[in-house]
Amino acid sequence: MNGTPRLLNRVLLAVIGLALLVSGVLAIVLAAVPAAGPWWQARTASLLAAVDDALARTQAPGGGSWLWFAAAAVLVLVIVLMVAWVANQGKGRADVLAASFEAREVAGKVVISGALAEQALKAALAERTDLVSSSVQTYEVQGRTGLKIRLLPRQGVSPQALAADVSELVEALDAALGVRTPVLISIGAGTRSKLGRAERVR
Amino acid sequence: MTAAEARKGTAAPDPERAATGRILSRETRSSRAPAAVIAALLVIVVAVWALLEVILAGIDQPAWLLDPQSVLHAVARFPEGADRLLLGAAGAVLAMAGLVFLLNAVLPGRRARHVLSDRRAAVVVDDEVIASALARRARYAAQVTQEQVMVVVSQRSAVVNIRPTSGMPVNVEQVRAAVEAELADMAPAPLPAVHINVTTAGVVGA
Repeated sequence: MNGTPRLLNRVLLAVIGLALLVSGVLAIVLAAVPAAGPWWQARTASLLAAVDDALARTQAPGGGSWLWFAAAAVLVLVIVLMVAWVANQGKGRADVLAASFEAREVAGKVVISGALAEQALKAALAERTDLVSSSVQTYEVQGRTGLKIRLLPRQGVSPQALAADVSELVEALDAALGVRTPVLISIGAGTRSKLGRAERVR
Repeated sequence: MTAAEARKGTAAPDPERAATGRILSRETRSSRAPAAVIAALLVIVVAVWALLEVILAGIDQPAWLLDPQSVLHAVARFPEGADRLLLGAAGAVLAMAGLVFLLNAVLPGRRARHVLSDRRAAVVVDDEVIASALARRARYAAQVTQEQVMVVVSQRSAVVNIRPTSGMPVNVEQVRAAVEAELADMAPAPLPAVHINVTTAGVVGA
């Protein structure tokens, strides 16, 4: 439930993967098949001659060819794009849960911080003995803010009962805040719940 | 909004249901973030090195490791001037890495999770949690200890393995009924089919 660009991830992984796969297979074929060498050299000879020619013609006085700087600019662009791609992974944490711009009764703007919902839910969940740990985070989903509630129950706890209880807590929060936001309840197993004692009370 | 409508969740406004559906589809599939970060870092490392060499060539300085123009010449003359074994090995490594990235891009990448229906929130449950809930019910129905039951839950099946206490036969139908009742109560989507295996060798002293 975050802003990771999933389609972009798959498209770029496919492009990079395909490029690596093709060059790798080409290298294997060149190394293993004797007939492939002359074919490859014939195909690259004219290209190489054109590159050498261009480099010689664009020779700057007292330096190398400016074509190298054009290549450098392209590389800088690639690096910037790759850094931007990495920076977008797991993005989407939000601070504000809801903000009202058209409040009629009061002058100004009402802002409900995500920390309010996080603290309220965490405090309510802390009383439960069937949970090893829990965390609540505010995320942005499709331009709306939503809550992600991650629960790590003890072994043997029925997830449906846990989900129903937490869902009631969320409805109580809805009533208290006066806004309904998308909510994700994610029930998982961590190392602490795997090693800890089983729930025997419920 | 009537109570029945609220229970089914049909009265929820459309954008909210769309948001919930989107959350659920994202939560049950891998984001491919680790592979994306690795691929991006690889490209960045190679690009930074190439940038250095290209700028050195541009200002007519000696190359750090390899001069880009001679690299182009060497690649164009492959496999001449190169160690065939080294070329083949490097190619194999490249092809393997490319295949891993490509499979990451193409495979569905479904996570070991099930979706529970809820009238307010989107609920996803890791398969391990479902397995441990089923194991508890199976343990009570079979009257064995925690260590004698192992449950494996996958997308479409829940396999309950029971090692009975020696001399105390396990009522398979009773265990099946208990596990299926728990599953029906939980209603994970997709619903796994229950398989019960009771080992012939019992456990002594349990």
